[in-house]
Amino acid sequence: MKRIHWRDGVMNTFLYAQIIIVLALILFPILWMALSSLRYNVDITAYPPKLIAPVTLENYVNLVQTNNFGRIAVNSAIIVTGSTLLGMLLGVPAAYAAARFRKQGWAFLILLARMSPGILFLIPWYMVALAAQLTDNYLTLILTHTVITMPVIVWLMLSFFEELPPDMEESAMIDGCSRFQVLRLIAIPLSIPGIAVSAILSFIFSWNYFLFALVLSGSGTMPLTVAAFQFIGVSAINWGGLMAAATVISVPPMILTMFVQRWLVRGLTAGAVKG
Amino acid sequence: MGVQAKPIPRSKPRERWLSTTDRLAPVLMMAPAAIFTVLMIGFPFVYAGYLSLHKITLGSPDPAVFIGLDNFAKAMGDPIFWTAVRVNLALYAVGLILELVLGTYIGILLGQPLRGIAIARVLAIFPAVIPSVAVGLVFAQMFDPAQGLFNFVLRALGQRPQAWLASPTTVLQSILIVEVWQWTPFIALIIMGAMQTLPTEPYEAARIDGASGLQILRYLTLPMLRPAIVVAAMLRTVDLMRIFDSIYIMTQGGPINSSMSLNVYAFTQGFLFSQFGYSSAIMLVLLALTVIASATLGAARRRSGV
Repeated sequence: MKRIHWRDGVMNTFLYAQIIIVLALILFPILWMALSSLRYNVDITAYPPKLIAPVTLENYVNLVQTNNFGRIAVNSAIIVTGSTLLGMLLGVPAAYAAARFRKQGWAFLILLARMSPGILFLIPWYMVALAAQLTDNYLTLILTHTVITMPVIVWLMLSFFEELPPDMEESAMIDGCSRFQVLRLIAIPLSIPGIAVSAILSFIFSWNYFLFALVLSGSGTMPLTVAAFQFIGVSAINWGGLMAAATVISVPPMILTMFVQRWLVRGLTAGAVKG
Repeated sequence: MGVQAKPIPRSKPRERWLSTTDRLAPVLMMAPAAIFTVLMIGFPFVYAGYLSLHKITLGSPDPAVFIGLDNFAKAMGDPIFWTAVRVNLALYAVGLILELVLGTYIGILLGQPLRGIAIARVLAIFPAVIPSVAVGLVFAQMFDPAQGLFNFVLRALGQRPQAWLASPTTVLQSILIVEVWQWTPFIALIIMGAMQTLPTEPYEAARIDGASGLQILRYLTLPMLRPAIVVAAMLRTVDLMRIFDSIYIMTQGGPINSSMSLNVYAFTQGFLFSQFGYSSAIMLVLLALTVIASATLGAARRRSGV
């Protein structure tokens, strides 16, 4: 017995050592980003690289005061919230019907949406938006981002609804509830954790999505990702400012991920597992 | 009720839709999402097919002139199109192999039942959940030839500084570093999830039979993980084929088109030069390539009985 314990101890130390090396490689760029965002430019580009340097919030203050990131954050919030709500409104009933009726069609659609390059949709959208004078419009951005959020919501809610025990729904129907009442009064209240997970993942996907807003947004509706990208041209060597912008857009998804880590696989693999 | 009470027998799902309104309920519940899908995905899909057969000139009296397959023929004779095909396939092949090997390794590592592993699992997934713009900005800083961190470190170690994104000979390797860094954790996450569903009995049997750790990995863990690895490979195939964000953010396809992928090229043609027909044609070619790559993987998956 003792020998096995001794071997397990060595084995664990060996595993921990590997985990620490892997985590260091994975986290290093994120730490460098956060660290640089808190430094003056002279210290970021100093040679040899500095481990310790004066800390400043100047980069963040500049983002808000001279680059209008406060206003741009509101754009992001409107687009992300709008596309999450619309995705829920469309996706939750569809997922429920799919879970209780048939789901093959949805699995195929979700797969097709995943395989198609975004530009394939973006060109027609852009031409329609131009003709209807709907570029630089929140509605356009919310609708296009819902193309990202809805499949994820349908896929997640489908599996949550499938796990619900049907007994309660059946007795409610025997008592005279319609299918819509069952959805509203029983299935949805019982699936609050699933709804929360879907909303959070939908938020992360919409927040991160870059391509659609790159083309369809304008000065009035630009989200943070596009603003951070355009910031490169404006301030080529203002690394501190760029790193502050990168940090600002990275923090919300990182925090939200901590709450939904165990559901992340399901959200990210939407359309690929089973069918 | 006894501990071993059987579950109440359930009626089949279809039989539970009873009255007329209830029979219509699934249709009514699916209708909004279905209409949205037709309008936002179905229509653009068909319209892109239409555009690919036309020469589009916005604002002219005859904005769409039918030209048959000329846009596709144009692509066949366009050297930049072929550069983009090569860039796509190179990034796909090398990226997929690197990500699968590293991702499986990290997934198995983080799938171990160790104390504190939950924290490591959350931290390890961060690259895959932050916006690609943030990733592009950080790596643009680190890759900068004059002021970037990587060259500083190389110099400090007495090595020759590299051009990274600034030279056609190193730009693809640099982009691969970014892609592998950002998406290997995603594969690790899938493998990690699969690790938790593996049965324990084969491991106990192998231990009793005196199998070594490496033998267990080779003959037990890896074969049992194969379905998860195939799923990860299929997802990454789809995403690597339409690679856009990291390239557009860091190089926009340069220098001199050396990192031009099909997606970036179609974007450039469509939104910088208003060649909407040509751009749609390139996208349909890319979709075809993606379908072929996925179908090949799918066939391999069925053949090996996964």
